[in-house]
Amino acid sequence: MTGRLPGATLRIDPNEAVAFTYRGRSLRGVAGDTLASALFANGVRIFSRSFKYHRPRGLYSLDGQSSTCLMAVDDVANVKAEITPLREGMAVAPQNVLGSPEHDLLAVTGWFGWAMPPGFYYRLFHKPWRLWPLFAGLLRRGAGLGKLNQEPPAGDFENQFLNCDVCVVGGGPAGMRAALAAAEFDLRVVLLETRPHLGGFYDWRVAPSPWGEPFYDRGRSLAGKVSRHDAIRVFPMAHLTAIFPGNLLTAVQTGRPDDGFRERYLEIRARSAVVATGCVDRPLLFENNDRPGVMLCNCAHRLARTYGLLPGKRAVFSVGNDLMLEAADDLAEMGLEIAAVADARTGGQDRRLVQRLEDRGISFLRGWLAADVRGRRDVRRVRLTRRDGRRSRWFEADLLVASADRAPAADPLLMTTARFERDRHTGFMLPVELPPGLHAAGRLLAWEEPHAIEDSGRLAGLRAAAECGAASSRDAERLSDDLRGRAASRPGQMVSRAPGRGHRSFVCFDEDVSVADIHRVAAEGFDNVELCKRYSTAGMGPSQGGMPGHNLPLVMAECRAEAVGSLPPSRVRSPLRPTLLATLAGKHYDVIKQTPLRRVQEKLGGVFVRAGQWERVQHFGHDAGAGDEIAAVHAGVGLMDVSTLGKFRIAGPDALALLQRVYVSDLDGLEREQLKYSAMCNEDGCLIDDGLITRTGESDYYFTTTSARAAQTVEWLRYHSRFEDWDFHIVNLTDAWGAVSLAGPAAHRVLANALEKRSSHVPPLRGYRETRLPSGIPVKILQVGFVADQGYEIHAPASAMTDVWDALWEAGRPLGIRAFGLEAQNVLRLERGHLIIGEDTESRTNLLDLGLGFLWDRDKRGFKTVGVPALRHTENQPGRMKLIGFKMKDPASTPPGGSIVVDTEVRGHVTSSRYSRALKQSIGLALVEEPLAAPGSPLEIFVGGPDRRRLGAVVHRGPFY
Amino acid sequence: MSAIITCPVCGPRNIYEFRFGGENRGPRPFDIRATPEQWYAYVHLRTNAAGPQQEWWYHRDGCGTWFTVWRDVTCDREVAAGEVRK
Repeated sequence: MTGRLPGATLRIDPNEAVAFTYRGRSLRGVAGDTLASALFANGVRIFSRSFKYHRPRGLYSLDGQSSTCLMAVDDVANVKAEITPLREGMAVAPQNVLGSPEHDLLAVTGWFGWAMPPGFYYRLFHKPWRLWPLFAGLLRRGAGLGKLNQEPPAGDFENQFLNCDVCVVGGGPAGMRAALAAAEFDLRVVLLETRPHLGGFYDWRVAPSPWGEPFYDRGRSLAGKVSRHDAIRVFPMAHLTAIFPGNLLTAVQTGRPDDGFRERYLEIRARSAVVATGCVDRPLLFENNDRPGVMLCNCAHRLARTYGLLPGKRAVFSVGNDLMLEAADDLAEMGLEIAAVADARTGGQDRRLVQRLEDRGISFLRGWLAADVRGRRDVRRVRLTRRDGRRSRWFEADLLVASADRAPAADPLLMTTARFERDRHTGFMLPVELPPGLHAAGRLLAWEEPHAIEDSGRLAGLRAAAECGAASSRDAERLSDDLRGRAASRPGQMVSRAPGRGHRSFVCFDEDVSVADIHRVAAEGFDNVELCKRYSTAGMGPSQGGMPGHNLPLVMAECRAEAVGSLPPSRVRSPLRPTLLATLAGKHYDVIKQTPLRRVQEKLGGVFVRAGQWERVQHFGHDAGAGDEIAAVHAGVGLMDVSTLGKFRIAGPDALALLQRVYVSDLDGLEREQLKYSAMCNEDGCLIDDGLITRTGESDYYFTTTSARAAQTVEWLRYHSRFEDWDFHIVNLTDAWGAVSLAGPAAHRVLANALEKRSSHVPPLRGYRETRLPSGIPVKILQVGFVADQGYEIHAPASAMTDVWDALWEAGRPLGIRAFGLEAQNVLRLERGHLIIGEDTESRTNLLDLGLGFLWDRDKRGFKTVGVPALRHTENQPGRMKLIGFKMKDPASTPPGGSIVVDTEVRGHVTSSRYSRALKQSIGLALVEEPLAAPGSPLEIFVGGPDRRRLGAVVHRGPFY
Repeated sequence: MSAIITCPVCGPRNIYEFRFGGENRGPRPFDIRATPEQWYAYVHLRTNAAGPQQEWWYHRDGCGTWFTVWRDVTCDREVAAGEVRK
């Protein structure tokens, strides 16, 4: 591949081409490129149009610090080109443009910027309110970001949940030293690095380090040590999204072309964490500071040294610290023509660096900075001015490299409870008090000298290790004393702009907020950083406050005529980076439970539906109304899989006391082989569960719960005995045991046939037996009447359920046995007037409202039964909703569940309803106000939809069938 | 939800594994002469203190034990009972 400069610092492979398309054109990048560097290499200079004024925007930071690099990639909107690795075959398109980024028809909005101050849409378009939807549509089309793709994004998304001793955020010199220090003590370390490679600000610098070797060599040898260390796991391209209390760190990792995932969510539980995120370039503010051809110093330097691309032909630099002078010198060395270097500092520069620039014949302007850029879609001319604005000079150039100074990248700490103070020496806001288990290191703490940066990293690593129990405290204290004596860093350069009104000096690129806008907002009274941020929306765009966060407090101080640096930055919230919902969802493992009778029922044509965690049969065959299944239970016999029922054994001296506490019935006289139907209420007296209880031994009980309650029953029983010193054991047999329901007039004969010589073991009414099938399978048989007068539940070990089913099937074959599912069960129980908890009940309906008051043994004393006080209080309370049965006046019309019961107002609602073929009548259950609940009362049921009407019904007491 | 809860049986575990059981209000009063207002207050009203409170947790995805811990609800961190009395 041609067009790339050679160099030892490159992170690309110029010989390996990667093809992609941009706006349908086929282009080529090289392996190791980001999307942004590949586009830049192909001569693309305008990357996007801005949010509000549709101003042209180009490559600016290489770290995705602003929305200028948002593009649509493979139909996914808002992808940051600067941090997205180039993949073979990527289809890339610009967004938020009408036409092309070079000729965007919506750019006319920029001419009317004067008419669109911050918040203009709130003030202008709220009247008349009827027109707002029209305005909203127009505004959203013009001021949009990308177009949302409704399809699930392609590619694999993963979640990883990691545990470690020390988590280090930032893989620069300080972060690497922290990781190595902790790993020395055999602690498990996780290292997160935003960029594809470790090395931080060493990675692209060819200048000699204090150790003699060039910085990039030093960085790479440290990175080698880190990568080879068994105790350190490195996650490159992992962007921290949040730090939560208790050191839970979350990050989003972008997959590289050879990774098996597109994006990965990382959730790291660390005993101790080190934040070493270093510094970023603080943008310089000047007129048209967003023109393509203006870029941060760090961006220009890395473009050349990491990607082998000269950022321009003839450049002007406007900088604020020595690192940037070094960059100017290095770029000149690489062949960039530099017209002038302005340094906003009036003094304090490294003399050797200035000398080197002057030796190259570059004019060096001390105390000068960029003030204006001319050129419609690119940089043509640059105006530099003295800090006081009294003198100016114009330069012809196609590139302006501009940064005010470095700024600590403290976002991860700004979202914690860390306390920050203005450092008098550098002027930076620095963390002075960190929450427990959190440490900071390196340039983030304003260290500048390489030895000090690395030692502060090591110190943080040692302190973090000490918190994990390592014997590193003494080393840490020694190093801490040593660091205290080190040379202080040079003062920061706090000037952010030349004098002027700043109408086109953008503080926030994402939201097109200029310096003049901030002044206007402050004049309106929003002169606090947090308020200004919300009102002007500066820092509320996709870059999440990162870039404008540094300049906003400085400009606000200027508005308030206060000392520069007097105001704290605005608070930062998670996620620090925009995150795809697909990434948070990951693979979405859904846990489905299948009953032991799954295969048998599949063979019979069962149609399965999801019921909670379970998959159960709705009906068999094609008839969704389950007519034949219902008829079989009415006239002959039916068999249903009810393995999902909760099944429990409770034993021990105090088992009965606990059952007495949670069940409303008195279970004291319960004999062996006798079944009792009862219910559990919560403290409001509301029905939460019903089931059957039997005694199987001296202090040994077996009971069932509804399918929905099975998972919470143990918790419920233990909760209500937590203050008691009761001796009992409870075992959840729900999954270990299966169950079938055999129901219909022929059920008794079928069961007796199946039991053969033990046919006398069929239990009587409300009876319970434990016996064996002829094959030897142990079964528990419960006589029940939920769906038919004659009915039995047969419980058996899950592994034997298929044999139990087959035995009953064979015994029932001569009698025309049929399998039935949930739909048939629903109709059958409705015909018998039985309710289903959760369907016919809600969180306000208590036992009495449901007509189940007969289950409550009022005379039971001494067990503090759950729900009883509330039942007593509501016994005679007026105005309660009651569950009633109803028949439709027109037998054929069935109101859908949820239809409301009305007269002049809403009086209740239908909870279940079906057409019963046996009765040739539509029937149902409804919750209605008490005055409407008397048997024979007429009801009016409102049915919505296209043919809205009122249907007549009559309240019915007792079973329908 | 980032807190760690220390189960007396299983040790410190991720909060996801537990179910919250509310603040510890002591053994449940049971007086059938209690007025509806008194009972309502017991069932539905909470102290809602900003600071440490003793609360019940159930190790749902673990050993199935109900136990109490002291937790400072303002910073979502467990505190020792001794620290609370200070």
